[in-house]
Amino acid sequence: MAHAAPLSAPRAEQGLGVYTQKLGMWVFLASEVMFFTALIGSYIILRWGSAESWPVPHEILAIPITALNTFILICSSVSMVKAYAAATQDDQKGLRRWLLLTVIGGATFVGVQAFEYHHLISEGLLPSGIREGSALAARLVDTGKVSATAAGLFGSAFFTMTGFHGFHVTCGVICMTFVTIKAFRGGYRGGRYHGIETIGLYWHFVDLVWIILFTIVYLI
Amino acid sequence: MEGTRKHPNYVAVWGALFALTVLEVAAVYVGLPRHLLVLSLLLLAAWKALLVALYFMHLRFEPRRLALVAMTPLPLGVILVVAVLQEYAKR
Amino acid sequence: MTAAAMPQGAGLHAGHDDRPWIRRYVFSTDHKTIGIQFLFLSLFFLLAGGLLAMVIRWQLGFPGTPVPGGSILPDAMAPGGVIRPSFYNALVTMHGTFMIFFAVMPLLTGVFANYLIPLKIGAPDMAFPRLNMWSFWLMIPAGTLALAGFFVEGGTAAAGWTAYAPLSNSPLYTGVSAGQVLWCLAIVIFGASSLLGSVNYVTTVINLRAPGMTWMRLPLSVWALFITAILALLAVPILAGAIIMLLFDQVLGTHFYLPTGGGQPLLWQHLFWFFGHPEVYILILPAMGLVSDVIANGSRKPVFGYPTMVAAIGGIAFLGFIVWGHHMFVSGMNPRLGTTFMASTMLIAVPTSIKVFNWLGTMWRGNIHFHVPMLNAIGFLSMFVIGGLSGIFMAATPVDMYIHDSYFIVAHIHYVLFGGSLFAAFAGIYYWFPKMFGRRMDERLGRIHFALTFVFYNLTFFPMHLLGLGGHMRRIYDPTQYPFLAPLQPINRFISVSAFLLLTSQLPFAFNFFRSLFRGERAEINPWRDNSLEWTLPSPPPHGNFAATPTVYRGPYEYSVPGEVEDFLPQDRPARAAAEAH
Repeated sequence: MAHAAPLSAPRAEQGLGVYTQKLGMWVFLASEVMFFTALIGSYIILRWGSAESWPVPHEILAIPITALNTFILICSSVSMVKAYAAATQDDQKGLRRWLLLTVIGGATFVGVQAFEYHHLISEGLLPSGIREGSALAARLVDTGKVSATAAGLFGSAFFTMTGFHGFHVTCGVICMTFVTIKAFRGGYRGGRYHGIETIGLYWHFVDLVWIILFTIVYLI
Repeated sequence: MEGTRKHPNYVAVWGALFALTVLEVAAVYVGLPRHLLVLSLLLLAAWKALLVALYFMHLRFEPRRLALVAMTPLPLGVILVVAVLQEYAKR
Repeated sequence: MTAAAMPQGAGLHAGHDDRPWIRRYVFSTDHKTIGIQFLFLSLFFLLAGGLLAMVIRWQLGFPGTPVPGGSILPDAMAPGGVIRPSFYNALVTMHGTFMIFFAVMPLLTGVFANYLIPLKIGAPDMAFPRLNMWSFWLMIPAGTLALAGFFVEGGTAAAGWTAYAPLSNSPLYTGVSAGQVLWCLAIVIFGASSLLGSVNYVTTVINLRAPGMTWMRLPLSVWALFITAILALLAVPILAGAIIMLLFDQVLGTHFYLPTGGGQPLLWQHLFWFFGHPEVYILILPAMGLVSDVIANGSRKPVFGYPTMVAAIGGIAFLGFIVWGHHMFVSGMNPRLGTTFMASTMLIAVPTSIKVFNWLGTMWRGNIHFHVPMLNAIGFLSMFVIGGLSGIFMAATPVDMYIHDSYFIVAHIHYVLFGGSLFAAFAGIYYWFPKMFGRRMDERLGRIHFALTFVFYNLTFFPMHLLGLGGHMRRIYDPTQYPFLAPLQPINRFISVSAFLLLTSQLPFAFNFFRSLFRGERAEINPWRDNSLEWTLPSPPPHGNFAATPTVYRGPYEYSVPGEVEDFLPQDRPARAAAEAH
């Protein structure tokens, strides 16, 4: 035990065999999973435990446009991974094209979400509950379909979950813009794809969270 | 350190994601019984999430231990939610 | 997104340092500087938390009488120097908040993880030095917001460091509005700081180990800090989510935790303690790691059962995620759920005791040197055992029904946090001070500090077990309002006087620390004759750490190896057979 022989050709310890930037991003994403777990888990718990009649999500939220928005985000994930593939093959033109599409896709998603928020708020859905005298109140609360407290809780959870997701997408769009500018300046030439892959992971993660959110909040 | 990068057919994955999304939305409007609807929606969402994680995030081609890093939060999340749901369990 | 990993060869920069003053000492990305910045921050908040405790103890020992020096406090807090009940609630809240989030956590993780990890694994710096810098500087707004609460209308947060809803939700119950909001913001920012640090620690330990530094050759301090960082990564985001929902309840009118709006107060408790229990392991595991290093060194013996020690750290961390309900036995939660928590809580005593026995096994028949760090480490060992034993009482749900939220719990907390974490932190400071500052702390003052602290600490906290069993509840403003507590009041006075003496006993430490910074005896490279890699470098190590990446040949605890001339064998010394072959 005392004199352990050295490795015959000492090399740095491999760790997981994944380069540091990527490993760091994965570790960070693991913590982000826990963050969204707190929010989404709370929604599940509040809804399951609600003693009162919970609103049917698609009677308040617009499924068609959100489904389209989901698709847009998925497309931006595809363009992201295509950008990564281009970077690994040193295809600079492809890289720039796909990165640009990703930024546009992400920005569109945020735009549509903002538009939806505006629409919902004017309809009467607020973080604090259903606004009295609003169209939603007339349709759901006053008719007795849904209790005001349950609808209020739905509003609280909806805006918190989708709001933080939207915040994450926005941060992603901002970072992606910087990455795109760097790509246009040739910063990823010569097969230097690490930065693209790393931000790509973040981007896919944000898409993944939305896949879960869309199902749990809008559809179920 | 990583040699040649394997690239799966991203368009095929995209097609699958599109189809699964359509199925999800359809399931809501088809009028399934509640339990079946929830189950199928959760399965479809999980399938989509797995496709993104395995192919877009390349977990399928990474060292196995990296997938461990990625998967670790999941059982914890399940434990948290399932435990707290017991507060509403019928005695 | 462009933070490049430090290649192993970057160590060649060691010694060549032309950074301007502000980049060297203020906005530094050097992990050693960041560790020292955390040291000063946490010592400041340790003092602040300690002063708050003194005021609490005054009120408990001498209820309703003016606090000495209390006339400087405004009437909203203490008219005529007499603490108001509302201010008392703020005191206990902020004492806990400061101590846990701004003193002990930064002291154990911010200081020792930052300072030690790259040095001990043979790396030039952390994986992401700029993120690391942000991790420290985020503590400044966090700490400022936490302090700011004292100066706003309604005072600072007063719902306990556990901020139970609906008490924390609304000014209706505490009269505090802005203060609670500031508290929430402070903790969220703190959480961000903690996460950035943890990402760094995990990535660095996995990827930046020098050749030959295999997992099973890592010092236990590194293992402990690594696993602590994983715990933080998984637990702190839950706290962030929970507090964000609390914040929204306070300012956006949401109703997550408000029953009137359909919310669930128990949801807060479950979320908070799902974080809160791993949190206490975050507070103790690094301490255990540091102490393993010090005890092996002070015993001149390898750690007994190294692989088991590693497994025990992992076991504690894993089990730590499934015991949170034991903080909620009396909350009215589902009793069947409570039973499962009782079982898992009792189970966690197993890996913990394994560690205790292994430390004892390390010391057994060792050539023990009672240097100051070793004294503190042995103090840790004995006091942590007491704290752990009281934990067994609390794990049994029927017993906990009686002692929950009593001073028995307060005794337990302080035995594990002060008797445990803080003694270990002292051991760490005394041990690594020479490496950090190139000077030694005075041994005699160190012994005086340890002896006085040990005595007055036990006199302060042991009697709290008795108070608790006697029915004395926690966070109470005036115990004398209950006739049944009257016979216990002399104990309260005794505890308070001991507490004042305990704070006074820190003077030798403070004096020693600051004087040694400037006038301490110059330290040699390896004053403790330790094997770990940082002791092969100058004190303090240069920017970039190692002139050439070291190669590691053995584990860190090769003390008293038969056949060796010296009683220690550094990790990077080549094997004799290989050396002779040259």
